[in-house]
Amino acid sequence: MNTPQEPHKKKEDCSNQNECLKLLQAVLDGEATPAQREHFLKEHLEGCMPCYKNYNLEMMLREKIKTKCGSEAPGDLMEAIKQKVSQLASR
Amino acid sequence: MEEILERPHYSQPEKEAIFNNEFLPHIHAMYNFGYRLTLDRDDAKDLVQDTYLKAYRFIDSFQRGTNAKAWLFRILKNSFINDYRKKSKEPSKVDYQEVETYYNSEDVDRQITPDLRVESLSNMIGDEVSNALNSLDVDFRTVIILCDLEGFKYEEMAKILDIPIGTVRSRLHRARALLKEKLNQYAKEMGYTKS
Repeated sequence: MNTPQEPHKKKEDCSNQNECLKLLQAVLDGEATPAQREHFLKEHLEGCMPCYKNYNLEMMLREKIKTKCGSEAPGDLMEAIKQKVSQLASR
Repeated sequence: MEEILERPHYSQPEKEAIFNNEFLPHIHAMYNFGYRLTLDRDDAKDLVQDTYLKAYRFIDSFQRGTNAKAWLFRILKNSFINDYRKKSKEPSKVDYQEVETYYNSEDVDRQITPDLRVESLSNMIGDEVSNALNSLDVDFRTVIILCDLEGFKYEEMAKILDIPIGTVRSRLHRARALLKEKLNQYAKEMGYTKS
């Protein structure tokens, strides 16, 4: 994903921030259409400070969730499952 | 698992190959999902084990070439609702329908305007994000895990959760707003913000 540049003409207010946030999330989730994605990332973000800030926040939040909210299964779980399944299979 | 039909068509070696090569590699993601649902590591182990045993029993209803991870996640989610929640002594939560109606009202968009700053979030290098996620209602933490951590598409999430795709979208939007609100609260408590 191309990182949008910091807005040149810093529009401080976004009249439609909640709708923009929904669109931003769809873009980042890979659920927006190519046209929506292009418009949002290449045009809207360039000129809209609140949405640009939201973009950075959403990216950081996703990064934190990916690095902080995973966990590994305990080492003995895989073996326990394999053993139970082989008992089922031999019945 | 009402849609599962008994259609035995895999040989024993095929079953073992599917189980070992397509199911077991998802064990860490499954365990994490189980943990985020139950918030208890022992319960998560039991839930994952039960899920894998069910997956093996019903392996003939798994179509090779389809998304094994989504199929397994759906079984785990159903096991959580049908088995775990019933025997759980955890006091029952607020009726979800009521919560969803509330959070879908337009008023909430005005109420929830998290002013969390990216710098504050970036300073959270401990368990803050994980704890904030765990503090959300189970239906909200579920969609965040499925989308942001596991990378499921909205359509796959709709199938895993048995909800319409529009509900996936709105629930995710609310979940992220609530998560940011919680993180902003932490940021204030920790002095990351000036306000």
